[in-house]
Amino acid sequence: MTARFDELIHAPTRLAIVSLLAAAQWADFKFLRDELSLSDSALSKQLSTLEAAGYVHIRKGFVGKRPRTSARLTTAGRRAFEGHVAALQKLVARPMLIVPEPAGRGSGQGDRGTPPRAD
Amino acid sequence: MILSYQASTFLDREEQDVNDSKPASTDAAGALAEIQRRQAQVIDAVLVPGWYWWVVAVAMVAIGAAADTKRPVVLAVAIPVAVLVIAGLTVGMIVGAYRRVQVHSRTLLGGRGAIAIVGLDWLVVGVGLGTAFGLRAAGSRIPGTIGTTAGAVVLVIAGPAVMRYLRGLMLSQRAGGTAWSWRRQSAGSISDPEPGPAE
Repeated sequence: MTARFDELIHAPTRLAIVSLLAAAQWADFKFLRDELSLSDSALSKQLSTLEAAGYVHIRKGFVGKRPRTSARLTTAGRRAFEGHVAALQKLVARPMLIVPEPAGRGSGQGDRGTPPRAD
Repeated sequence: MILSYQASTFLDREEQDVNDSKPASTDAAGALAEIQRRQAQVIDAVLVPGWYWWVVAVAMVAIGAAADTKRPVVLAVAIPVAVLVIAGLTVGMIVGAYRRVQVHSRTLLGGRGAIAIVGLDWLVVGVGLGTAFGLRAAGSRIPGTIGTTAGAVVLVIAGPAVMRYLRGLMLSQRAGGTAWSWRRQSAGSISDPEPGPAE
């Protein structure tokens, strides 16, 4: 798994959509709308963006006379999501940067990684 | 000058680039929490709700009690009604969940999940029938009622327990699983970037 931060997926609403789809094979439009508390138009817009990127496949059909729209992640979308999760995990796991205070300020305790002083 | 020295000391070039375009680790942790929450939503949507076990348990006891009456009218009405309730509820729930969202059952549940579901069925049937036949052999007047009650008790205890097990199993098997990081964070350590084994 190659860790790759994906700006398109990281936007909050799209991250939520892709996260839902990643756990599913197919998800109904209404299910996504209700779980995300989005309007039809807002969800449509985000799904279109993801579809244009090749991350989501949208299927439109009918159940009886009722139109029914479903969405799923494409292979590329799933790969991008997994890479994004791996990138996030790396960020979380990365040791925190500790910037030492200038000489003469602070006690100097806890300054792990402080460069050796010239004195 | 000091800043650039510090940066070059503690960060390599790649990490500096990363800092410019990626969120801080706290934001990343928030994003991972959001991912886990959303994926749990999907898994919860396909799992059996708690009330289902109680409805099925009551219907089971109704079948057992009806059988003990040995009255044809009661048998002819109560048993088909109870069976219809159980079957209708089960089919309706499966179809309803299937229409809303479909999950990769084979991937998410695997062999262990299938064994847990089949094991629950066998446990309930085994306890129910075993108790009923044992009591009948012992001369009990209401073996069906007691037997199905025993099976029902097992169902309302083991059913939700199996669902909790399946939920954990599915969360650990989902795409982009992040369970390792939550364990480490809760343990107060996030220094090891390698994902741990599935839960």
